[in-house]
Amino acid sequence: MNDFYRKLVDQYAGSELPEELEQEMEGAAMADPELAGDMFTLRKTVELLQGLPAPEFTNESFYRILMRMHAAGVNVETQTPEPTHYQYQLPMQG
Amino acid sequence: MLSSSRDDSQYEKRLLTALIKGDQSAFGGLYELYGDKIFRYTYRMLGNRSDAEDATAETFLRVFRRSAELRADGAFRTWLFRIARNLCIDKMRQHKLLELPAEAHYGGTEEKAALKVTVQQALNELPLEYREPLLLCDLEDISAKEAAETLGISVPALKSRLYRGRRALRERLGGSMEKLK
Repeated sequence: MNDFYRKLVDQYAGSELPEELEQEMEGAAMADPELAGDMFTLRKTVELLQGLPAPEFTNESFYRILMRMHAAGVNVETQTPEPTHYQYQLPMQG
Repeated sequence: MLSSSRDDSQYEKRLLTALIKGDQSAFGGLYELYGDKIFRYTYRMLGNRSDAEDATAETFLRVFRRSAELRADGAFRTWLFRIARNLCIDKMRQHKLLELPAEAHYGGTEEKAALKVTVQQALNELPLEYREPLLLCDLEDISAKEAAETLGISVPALKSRLYRGRRALRERLGGSMEKLK
């Protein structure tokens, strides 16, 4: 029976199985350290991965991207208020 | 900002319909709706902010230039990610390097922060074939069907790469995983 559960470890790790089947697998894993190790470490891997911080999309990035599009000749109208330092062009020196 | 994915999809449809009819002001709405998602994805693919900003801008520029081909049929997001992906692959070929995101905030205790850095490094070292499904499915929370369409492969092939990628990541985490037992 544990061979059947071994085939489901990937789905278990990604929380893709019905709750009932998950519980069955966890019960079977109590008597099978190898299965338990596979299940625990793979699920932990997915959790660690999903817990990575997302890169922050800052206002500066938002506007730098808009300015890149503007430089390419596309004016993009957004509803997000523009920060004041993007509203006024500094005078050219020299 | 609209909160639910259903609202987002209705809003997306309205914007696309307007853009198809020639209302170019709708393009800004699409950038506001998807700019952060595309930026996050390209940052994770390329590993630095400047390249991610370039790739995000170029992704939306391509959408704008090809707005005559747009259809409000629900496949826009997949198409957008596919454009972003192709641009990232081009950039990666040019640079042949991937940096660890230096600005990312790895919060928590020192040990947890160190573990996150280890996970990020292990992820960056994975072959692209494995890294892409992990980025799309586990980090961007995109469905297997959409991820498969973005990568131009079947759903079973996507799942196979996803599962092998997770196992490859676990292998690379080796010692760090042992400490968690």
